[in-house]
Amino acid sequence: MTEAPSIESILVADCGTVSTKLMLIDRVADSYRFAAQTEARTTGGAPWNDLSVGVVQAVQELESITGRRLYAAGRIITPRQDLDGVDAFVITLNAVLPLRVVLAGLVEEMSLESGRRAVAGTYATIEATLSRQGNLRSPQETWARTIRDTAPDVVLLVGGVDGGARRPVIELAEAIALAASMLEKDHRPSVLYAGNAALRSQIAKLLGDITRVVIVDNVHPSAETEHLGPAQNALEQFYTEDRLRVAPGVENLSAWSRLPFVPVANAFSRVVDFLWHREGNMDRGVLGVDVGAATTTMAANFSGRSYINVYNHGTASGIIDWVQAHSLDDLLRWIPDRLDVDSLLAMLHNTELLPSTVPQSPLEASVALAVAREMLRSTLDVARSTWDTTGATFGGQEVMPRLDPIVISGGGIVHVPRPGHALLATLDGVQPVGISTLLLDVNRAAPAIGAIAGIKPLIAASALEAGALVSLGTVISPVGQAKPGDTVLRLRIGYDGGTTLDVEAHYGELEIWPLPVGQRATLEIRPHRRFDIGMGQGQGGKVEVLGGLVGLVVDARGRPLELPRDGDQRRRVLKRWTLDVGG
Amino acid sequence: MATPYCVMNPLTTVRIPRLLTRPGELMVRAGESVEPGQIVAQSVEPADFRIVEVARELEVPVKKANAMLKVERGQAIVEGDILAARGGLSGQVCRAPISGTVVGVGRGRLLLEADPEVVRLAALVPGYVVEARGDEGVVIETIGGLIEALWGNGKEAYGILRMVVRDAQHPIRATHINASSQGTILVGGATVDDESIVQAAGVQVRGMIIGSLPASLMARAQEAPFPIVAIEGIGTAPMNQTAFSLLRSLDGRDAAVSGNIGVRWREKRPYIVVPMPTQAGRSIDANGRLAVGDRVRVLRGDHRAQSGTVAHLLQGLVQLETGARMPGAAVTLTEGETIQVPYVNIERLL
Repeated sequence: MTEAPSIESILVADCGTVSTKLMLIDRVADSYRFAAQTEARTTGGAPWNDLSVGVVQAVQELESITGRRLYAAGRIITPRQDLDGVDAFVITLNAVLPLRVVLAGLVEEMSLESGRRAVAGTYATIEATLSRQGNLRSPQETWARTIRDTAPDVVLLVGGVDGGARRPVIELAEAIALAASMLEKDHRPSVLYAGNAALRSQIAKLLGDITRVVIVDNVHPSAETEHLGPAQNALEQFYTEDRLRVAPGVENLSAWSRLPFVPVANAFSRVVDFLWHREGNMDRGVLGVDVGAATTTMAANFSGRSYINVYNHGTASGIIDWVQAHSLDDLLRWIPDRLDVDSLLAMLHNTELLPSTVPQSPLEASVALAVAREMLRSTLDVARSTWDTTGATFGGQEVMPRLDPIVISGGGIVHVPRPGHALLATLDGVQPVGISTLLLDVNRAAPAIGAIAGIKPLIAASALEAGALVSLGTVISPVGQAKPGDTVLRLRIGYDGGTTLDVEAHYGELEIWPLPVGQRATLEIRPHRRFDIGMGQGQGGKVEVLGGLVGLVVDARGRPLELPRDGDQRRRVLKRWTLDVGG
Repeated sequence: MATPYCVMNPLTTVRIPRLLTRPGELMVRAGESVEPGQIVAQSVEPADFRIVEVARELEVPVKKANAMLKVERGQAIVEGDILAARGGLSGQVCRAPISGTVVGVGRGRLLLEADPEVVRLAALVPGYVVEARGDEGVVIETIGGLIEALWGNGKEAYGILRMVVRDAQHPIRATHINASSQGTILVGGATVDDESIVQAAGVQVRGMIIGSLPASLMARAQEAPFPIVAIEGIGTAPMNQTAFSLLRSLDGRDAAVSGNIGVRWREKRPYIVVPMPTQAGRSIDANGRLAVGDRVRVLRGDHRAQSGTVAHLLQGLVQLETGARMPGAAVTLTEGETIQVPYVNIERLL
């Protein structure tokens, strides 16, 4: 490691909505490794109202583990002084209220849809959508009332392809101006304009004296094109300025670190980007899923282009809102035991009221896994619409693009009782196709590594290579249709020692063979002529795969995965799959 | 690491923030004593408004509409007043849809704003104003019992506590509620049913404190005109013995009940405050670490909502039924059994 010889140690604080994690990374010989990690409750809310309290508690725990002084005179010791302190202190943060956005636009399938996708790129919620839909009698009055009553942080105004519609966009802008002028100056929403470029000066003139206006490229410049980057960057900037920098206790944290705060999702995305560049496969993407207590994040990279989607529901907080927008049946279908609706609702409410608790009974654990699956599916629905996956398509079918590896992070999924549960929830939630390696972020260190990557990429790479991500195993997911029990593919597993194992996978089953962490095997795969593993219909070949905590998995349950409609049969199948991955 | 806590204390110093939802005006000063019903702060809610499309209603071009106006900016109007007219008395008129003030004129339209509504915030508890927070509100300090709950329906009231059940296993039933319940805050041990909530509203009870609220009754509880707080949250679990015994010891005393749980990302705990005529109460240490002998409540699993005492802090890991292994403590429940619970599923009772 030649870069930055003066950096011997880095302390990373990851302030999540429920817990604050502290990670100490030290240089050991030529590489950087996680030396110790502690966790404390996040203290942004009452009675503390100061994020730095939780950070200090976690630092004190770290001091007692390492015997090294890190905190003195009311601050983190940085730069390092002999054996005390660290060379850099990095903070990632998402323990704050998301940005509240009102979306205003013209056409549902065009500008409004693009606007929604832009908002999904950061920690933001859409509080209301303004459009002409519904034949409003007095639309401007309704729009203005909605904005005034919602009092959002930002109004994202989209609409009109470049050089296209003018008058309807101006009418929306007039309503925004009216609403903003009725609010106290300190409470007026900022306006982010990402619509018809021909109207920029008019919009600035109309709204500029009333509130802060930021103008970026049109999210939908022509009927065929979408351009989300500038709007997403501006929203991220609003989030950083209006939320992160004013979070309670952030002034203390800022005083201890000269480095900028990084939103957790962005830090996580850097790890996914790193992995894509390391793998360098143009024919597949890399996916990262971070299932947290309050948000679910998907970071992806296809053909070198990165995508971030933040879904403002997690495994604890926001789940009741999610149920109201979806259905309890969506959760019940994943639970392998009989459970009535009232009991399920009670569990979800209590989890939301006590988000830092963990499932203690098998039933609570199966409810938590059901929630994790649905958070992944819902986030994926939004994320997929933003991905350009031309290079990673799979047999022209309506299935997932090829993804390898898939990184699994976040307390909502990493803390499940057994590694197999994390693998099963990911397979059910993401439904990957072809051959994928699943990597578990066991210490939930990925955001920290991503944050370091922003300042010292080689240190981040070194920490990542030193085993921060642990393989769950390699999963082969053939795509095709057959009858339950039919042979889907045949495998010859050639282990390192020279032994071989010939096995078959059957339709409808989840098949697992031993291949421990750190071991590799050569597979000769021969899929049935009606099945595709990413090499073409019925085409097989030799591949080298990585072992993991679960092993070598063939998910022959079909794509899209369909659960039996009969309740008893479904519960039996779910129990069998759960046993297959370790009970 | 500090262990999360929940206050269930017979005599402590209680600080209650009374904050407006939008900037307003304080009606009391720091140091002043206040009574439960006294207004401590008030704010003006944004007024209703209307855009009146004068040109469209009179069917004239925008440029001609101004000449037909019968009102001007700043003028007070009453609902039904003529705002603009065309063609004399027999012609078309445009009338005010609301009472208020004309605040904008232009482009063939009028902007009318209704008279604003004043929102008043009462002290809720008797005590002293110990902090005046600019235009946000005040913090009131009182000495007395404080019991925090997990769920509430957002409403608040002050009344007399009335225990209506014999033990924590018993729910509130309609048979417990009669004319003498008026003005009281009913305390039950376990759950409540639909009929009891309806009957309680009928006799004008001031509030209801229960162990848990069944999920099927959440909508009914939200509609209730009085506060309902569930010490253990949603479901059917009876109230923990520590809270039940404390509430039983406070039977007949005046109490303030707040069912406010805040909103997502800004959650609060509902509470019951029972003011006491004394000068000193024990302070609460929010940052304390779990220790042997501490009173705790179990938050998940088969023993959820049971209270007990920490018997040991375990050296090894607790093996959960789920297969997970986590650091934890041995807890002797009030009922006598000793169980192992991971730290993350324990709350100190202070």
